This record gives sequence, structure tokens and C-alpha cells, in this order.
Amino acid sequence: MNTRKEVMILAFALASAVAAASVGGSWKRSLAFLAAWLLPGAGHVMMGKWKKGLFFFALLGAAYAFGMHIAGWRPVSFDDNPFYFVGQYGSGATLLVAKLRGSEKAILSAGIHPSWFDPGLLYVCVVGLLNLVLMLNVLDLKTASAPAPAAGAPAATAPIPPAAVPPPAPEKPA
Amino acid sequence: MSNVSYLVLFFPIVLVILLVLEACRSDDPRKIAKRAFANFGVLTAVLVLGGAFVYVINRWF
Repeated sequence: MNTRKEVMILAFALASAVAAASVGGSWKRSLAFLAAWLLPGAGHVMMGKWKKGLFFFALLGAAYAFGMHIAGWRPVSFDDNPFYFVGQYGSGATLLVAKLRGSEKAILSAGIHPSWFDPGLLYVCVVGLLNLVLMLNVLDLKTASAPAPAAGAPAATAPIPPAAVPPPAPEKPA
Repeated sequence: MSNVSYLVLFFPIVLVILLVLEACRSDDPRKIAKRAFANFGVLTAVLVLGGAFVYVINRWF
């Protein structure tokens, strides 16, 4: 992959972060959005949902490792399957592995049936696509700890005093 | 592993997908597992029934 494409991908990531900031209204959320792209589950950890983040990381990491094991620990190349190749871009970690391994084509590991090869590539692709779901979930995430109201201050969800509620309209005579 | 059909790979990947989707919806681990496995059962049943239907059609019709 040439440098021009990499710059385009980075520009897309930055534009996504800006969009996330405008939607969520906080830079912490936009940073979490970027972190979620870099590493599955990292965005949830940044937003305080560390148990969920670790769960996602373990789940997607295991699926990715299994797919890579089938594909001989080589990333999906464009020649193998262009759709699965694009799917890798859903996560920065999978993209990094693909970059580090260069343009090697995936090969079937020894002792694995050839019919497993395509599903193995599919596993790698699905991990990237599921990471996109996790990134969107970070935008919709409620923060773990809401700020506690100060002592003596009225709570935000305090009930409306009865005097403020208008009395019901009198019924019309039949 | 060389003799195992690739169809067994359906189970782990579908479970991973359903667990991730349900975990995005809910915070309760019990609810996540329950919904994911329920949906997994429905999906598998639909696939098995569909496969059986296609097999019957191709075999006798």
C-alpha cells in the first residue's frame, strides 16, 4: 500500500474523531473513539467501562488469533480476497499487523483442511467489522460515573413541588 | 483438525458476533449471555431447517 492511501486513511480517522466530538460533545469521547479504532475495547476502557473493554478485547483478540492461525499468521492480502482485505481496516491493530507483515500472501497452516482457509480469512475480516460496531457504541456509551451533586444543593431530578403543578381543569357539566 | 468440516467454524464466529452485539446493548452479563445464546439457537435452527429443506428439494424433486 502506498503512502497516499495511508494518508487518506489517517485523514478519515481524524475526520471521524472530529465528527465524534461534534456528536458526543466531548473530546474525551472523540479520543475514546480513536482509541477504539486503534485497539478493540480500548474506547470502552477510556470511557470507564473497563470490564466491557477487556471482554471485547479478549473476544475479538481470540477470534483474530484463531483466524490468523488458520491463515498461517499472515494478514489477508488484496489478492486473497479484496472484501476481507478491506475488513482488516476496521481496527488499527489488525492494520498494524498487516503492515508489519508486508505484502505476504496468507497461506494455510499445516494440518488444517484447505476448506478452512476462506473461513479463516473471514474471521480476520469480521474482527475488523465488529470493531466498527464497537467504535459506534463508544459514541452512544453512557459514562460510568456521573458527577455527584454537591451537599445541600438540590438534586437535578428533584420532584416538582405540588404548588408548581397547575390544578386540573374543572369538568364541564353535562 | 484436517478432517473436521469447515461448517464447525460457523459456531464460534456467530457466537462472537452475537455476544459483541448484545454486549453493546446491555451491561448485565447474564442478560447478554441469555440473549446471545437464544439468538444463536434461533439462527442455527433456521439454518438447519433451511439446509434440510434444500436437501429434500434437491434429493427428491
